[in-house]
Amino acid sequence: MLRYIAFRSLVALFLVWIVVTIVFLLLHLIPGDPAELLLSGGNVAADPQAVAAMREKMGLNAPLWQQYLDHMAGVLSGDLGVSFRDGAPVIEQIALRLPRTLEVIIAAALIATGIGVPLGTYAAIRTDGKADAVISLFASAALSTPVFVVGSVVILIFAQQLRWLPAGGFVAFTEDPAEHLKLLLLPAGTVALSLLAVITRMSRASVLEVLQRDYVRTARAKGLPVRAVLRRHVVRNALIPVLTVLGLEMGTLIGGTVLVEFVFNWPGLSGYLVSAVDARDYPEVVGIVMTISVLFVLLNLVVDVVNAALDPRISLGR
Amino acid sequence: MTTKMNRRGFLATTGAAAGTLSFLGTKGAFAQDGGTLRFGLSAYPPSFDIWTSSGTAAGTIKMMCHRGLVGYDKDGVMQGELAESWEVSEAGDWTFHLRDALWHDGTPVTAEDVAWTVLEAQKPDSAAYLQGQLASITSVETPDAKTVIMKTAEPQAVLPGWFASYNMCIAKKGSERDSLMGAGPFKLASVDRGVSISVVANPDYYKEGMPKVAGIDAIVYADENLRVAALEAGDVDVVEYVPWQAMAQIDDNAELQLDTTFGPFMYLTFNATKAPFDNPLVRRAIGHAIKREDIAAAAFYERGAPLEHLPIADASEFYNADLANEWSYDPEKAKALLAEAGYPDGFDCTMLSTAQYGMHQSTAEVCQAYLSMIGVNVTLDLPEWSTRVKKGNEGAYDIAVMGTAADNNDPDGLANVVDGALPLSYVRSYGLETPEISALFAKGRASFDTEERKAIYKELEQIAIDTAPIMGLCWREQGYGLAGNVSGFSNMPGQLTFYSGFTLEAAMLG
Repeated sequence: MLRYIAFRSLVALFLVWIVVTIVFLLLHLIPGDPAELLLSGGNVAADPQAVAAMREKMGLNAPLWQQYLDHMAGVLSGDLGVSFRDGAPVIEQIALRLPRTLEVIIAAALIATGIGVPLGTYAAIRTDGKADAVISLFASAALSTPVFVVGSVVILIFAQQLRWLPAGGFVAFTEDPAEHLKLLLLPAGTVALSLLAVITRMSRASVLEVLQRDYVRTARAKGLPVRAVLRRHVVRNALIPVLTVLGLEMGTLIGGTVLVEFVFNWPGLSGYLVSAVDARDYPEVVGIVMTISVLFVLLNLVVDVVNAALDPRISLGR
Repeated sequence: MTTKMNRRGFLATTGAAAGTLSFLGTKGAFAQDGGTLRFGLSAYPPSFDIWTSSGTAAGTIKMMCHRGLVGYDKDGVMQGELAESWEVSEAGDWTFHLRDALWHDGTPVTAEDVAWTVLEAQKPDSAAYLQGQLASITSVETPDAKTVIMKTAEPQAVLPGWFASYNMCIAKKGSERDSLMGAGPFKLASVDRGVSISVVANPDYYKEGMPKVAGIDAIVYADENLRVAALEAGDVDVVEYVPWQAMAQIDDNAELQLDTTFGPFMYLTFNATKAPFDNPLVRRAIGHAIKREDIAAAAFYERGAPLEHLPIADASEFYNADLANEWSYDPEKAKALLAEAGYPDGFDCTMLSTAQYGMHQSTAEVCQAYLSMIGVNVTLDLPEWSTRVKKGNEGAYDIAVMGTAADNNDPDGLANVVDGALPLSYVRSYGLETPEISALFAKGRASFDTEERKAIYKELEQIAIDTAPIMGLCWREQGYGLAGNVSGFSNMPGQLTFYSGFTLEAAMLG
């Protein structure tokens, strides 16, 4: 198993290197000069002399291969560089923002699994019944409604009409825990809704499949009560594909909460990425994309390992 | 002695500053019990550089912490700030007399700080917004700690206006360019990068009884709809840049206030380095081909007004009623002008705008539709804003949609948009030389006589009408949304709307 993890980690490192290289090159290919943008604020064009000086300061006048080597050398020594915009160290900014994004995703995942697995299981054991139809309809609707629509609607209902929750924003947990949780509720709930749909459908399909298995019949035949069969044999086995999907979805969400962060003004990593791309802040963009790809690859690895723990038949090495 | 300075009155008399400070008002309850105002910013400032123009949000924060030599009151009348009075000599030298003001660190604001500010902002690497104007200041003398004398190569009637700009605030000698340690009404308390900026009242501020509130939390709401939702939900007390589609909704809400002004405007720029837009006849034809009311309707939800001349507001004393509709919608005239220019069947061209801002895109779409009616086939180029800026600066377009506000309500403030002598910029037409207009701007700046200036700018506008260095499209309302209990804060008139941050010192929560 250790050998397998080591091998997978090497492949992961290779993947991350490829991603970073592609992003680095793409960034330099797309139009937009960070120096010019920085100095062109507020409808005034930058003085060419000032732009040239700024490019020199940013290190953009060196040949591309040298910029690439410098950057990679920095990455290897744990230095992701500083923001072009205000000189803030990129790694510090990521360390500040990543937990905020992870918080939304983890809260959403907890809500989604907490509700989705029982809901899917219930739909499966009541298959083709009314409950199943209602649950399936709900899942389809939740899945096909874009997050920005859900976000706008919940803001309209809970913030503007009922005034139960703030429309958006962020307060650090250490500053005001209650306010922090209140602010977390809407974004996490919004992300959870689409995730919930996926998990419900996946649980339903998976439970249905397991229910057909011979060992379930055997368990029932030997007189085990339905509840025990469900708990010990069905749900436990049905969880494996659900967990795989959950892991992959969470990975996608790390870079994909952009709309939710934007709609709720949640200052996480994806919103940071968008503003960095807008400003062509190369060190920030490369640093964030690298972080996201590392996490994505890591999550995949974790999913594999957890699956193995849940089902000893899954053999990691072969 | 203190001064309340009206630019118009001043220019007419060329006299020494006189009068008393009206803005001091009665002493109110002092700041610290005034509560904290929550201000919804439209963006996180890309930089706090004191002399660089980095957009409205950055300007608002700078106006909380910094002050210039002069400024504007809520009606747009120039008033003293760090300078309590100022006068110009026969030779055109400007003398500013400083008041007893303190920096946030408790040290006094001195003439030396002012001289240092000017010299630093003049440096080529300062990226100062007013660098072009400041270049004409040849020396800054400081005969004593409270007196500053500025000498210019040519007399400059508009010099005090430069020092009223929120991009020309005074910095303490030796301070960092992006420091928010100033002499303004609020002191920086904390910054959460990308999220919020908090300031607290400066107890040593030179205006007694101000600021009224104990502090301001400026929170970034980049999404315009959320900004409005936050105001409606009571999460913030003031929001800037109210989206046009939400203005009616705020106006109709009994618990909120909407404060708008006509100031910023939309217009077209041209690439004059190649045919067909090197020809003024073609540029004028474009102007006559577009029905402006449809832009106001499509892009600004009826909160716009046609602009068929240079963007000089009808409330300005420099407004020329007889020229106001010279670029009016007249498709027959447009076709005739095209034929005269040698394009009877029209031509194909690209129009640069941006998909990032709805009003820029809608404006371009309306123009495209109307131009097709005179045979001009427009292909829209709608990249995101950064690329649009770059393409504009490089002249990678034929015709482009742009929106901005002039530097101030004086016609000299339009130089930034129409003066072809200034460096290449996406806010102006590309490679379009305007020798007569440039000369008239210089003449206007050097004149201290209002009537003479009126004549100069009328001649300038007439030439602009004939040569169409830009093509006016539409005025747009610019609005702030306020909670019902906010008073004292006001949207400043016309082109000064982005200076409204100055009035935060008087804002109260009642």
